[in-house]
Amino acid sequence: MLRTSGFTHFTKYCGYSSIRVFPQCKRLGLLMNSGRLSGSPNNYLSVAFSKSVFQSCSEAKSYVFSLPYNSGARHSVFNTVKHLGKNSYSFQSKRPYSQGSSKSTSTPLIKLRTRLIVTCLFGVGILGTWYYVHSEKEKKLQLQRIEQLKKVAIGQGDFNLVDHTGKPRTKKDFFGHWVMMYFGFTHCPDICPDELVKISNVVSILDEDKTLPPVQPIFISVDPERDDVEAMAKYVKDFHPRLLGLTGTPEQVKEAGKAYRVYYSTGPKDEDNDYIVDHTIIIYLLNPDGLFLDYYNRSKTEENIAESIRKHMKNYVKLFT
Amino acid sequence: MTAPNASERRVCWAARDELWRCLDENKDDMSRCQKLQREFESSCPAQWVKYFSKRRDYLKYKEKIQTEGFEPLDSSAKS
Repeated sequence: MLRTSGFTHFTKYCGYSSIRVFPQCKRLGLLMNSGRLSGSPNNYLSVAFSKSVFQSCSEAKSYVFSLPYNSGARHSVFNTVKHLGKNSYSFQSKRPYSQGSSKSTSTPLIKLRTRLIVTCLFGVGILGTWYYVHSEKEKKLQLQRIEQLKKVAIGQGDFNLVDHTGKPRTKKDFFGHWVMMYFGFTHCPDICPDELVKISNVVSILDEDKTLPPVQPIFISVDPERDDVEAMAKYVKDFHPRLLGLTGTPEQVKEAGKAYRVYYSTGPKDEDNDYIVDHTIIIYLLNPDGLFLDYYNRSKTEENIAESIRKHMKNYVKLFT
Repeated sequence: MTAPNASERRVCWAARDELWRCLDENKDDMSRCQKLQREFESSCPAQWVKYFSKRRDYLKYKEKIQTEGFEPLDSSAKS
C-alpha cells in the first residue's frame, strides 16, 4: 500500500532491499548513484535524483515507472516537482496519475521567448501599417492643398519682365527651379532690406544641405518709375549672389502684381520727388512647375521658412513632365 | 536720386537708433536730443525721416494701448 509523506518523496512500496537495475538504462545507474535510499524494508523508499539525469518530468516518470516493484498496484503520481536542493528534484505524490503533465521550469522559458518574439513582430507590423497609412494620408492632404491653391489661381498668369542684367525673363524661365519671390522697391527704408536679408539667409541655410535643389530668390520691383535695370543691379548686389532683380515698364509690373495679388500704392511725393511705396510684405514660394505653393509674412523666421521649404521639397510631386 | 546702398542704409539706421535711444531716455523730450535729430536728418533721405518719425509715433501709440488700455469713442459705445 502506498503511503505518501508530507515532505518530498516519491514513495514506492518495496518488499526488497535493493532495486534491480535495468542494464540498458545507464541513466538508471546514475540514478542509483545519486539517489538516496532511506527507510526500512517494510517501509518506503524515497528516491531523489539530480536534474541532470532527466530533461523533464515525463522522462523521469517513465524511468521511475520502469523501476521494479514488488507487487501491488502501480501508482502514478507526479504532479509537482519540488526543488530539494541544488539540482535535485524529487516527485511529490498527491493523487492518481492523470494526463496532466507537471510543468518543469524549462518548457515555459522557451514558450515565453517565442511569445515575446511573436508579440514584437506583431507590434512592428502594426506600427509599420500605421506609419504607411499615415504617410499616405499626408500625401493626399498635400495634393488636396495644391488643388486648392491652384483654384486660388495666384500666379497663374505669366509675367514679362527684365532682369538686372537687362535680359528679358518670363515665368517659363524659372520652370524646374524652386523660387522665392518678393515684391519691393529699392528706396524702401527698412522692410525690404530686412526681408531680402531674411530670404538670403534662408537660401544659404538650404544651400548647406547638398541633397536639396538650389532655390532661386527673385526680387520684383513695384516702383518701375525709379527702379530701372541699373538701379536694380546696384541694389541686389548687397544681398545673396543668386538674388535676381526684375523690373519692367509700369504696365508689365502691373501685370505681374495682378497675377500675384500684390497690393502696391505709391505714396505722396515730397520736395525732391522722393516717395515711399506702400505694398504687401509677403515672400512667395513657387515650385518647379511654377505653381504658387506657400507664402511667408514678416512674422516667419528664417528657420521657420527654411523648414517649410524643405518639407515642400520633400513632398514635391511632379505634376507636369 | 539713387537709392541708398547698404552702407548708407546702415548709417541711417544707426543714427535713427541713437535718436530713439535718446528719446527713450529723455521721455520723448525732443529738446534734449537736438544734435542726434540733426544727425539723423542728415544721414537719411527726407522720405525716410518722415517714415521713421511716423513709425516711432505708431510704436509709441501701440505701446500705450497695450499698457494703458483705451477708451472707445462715445459714438460707437451706444448700447
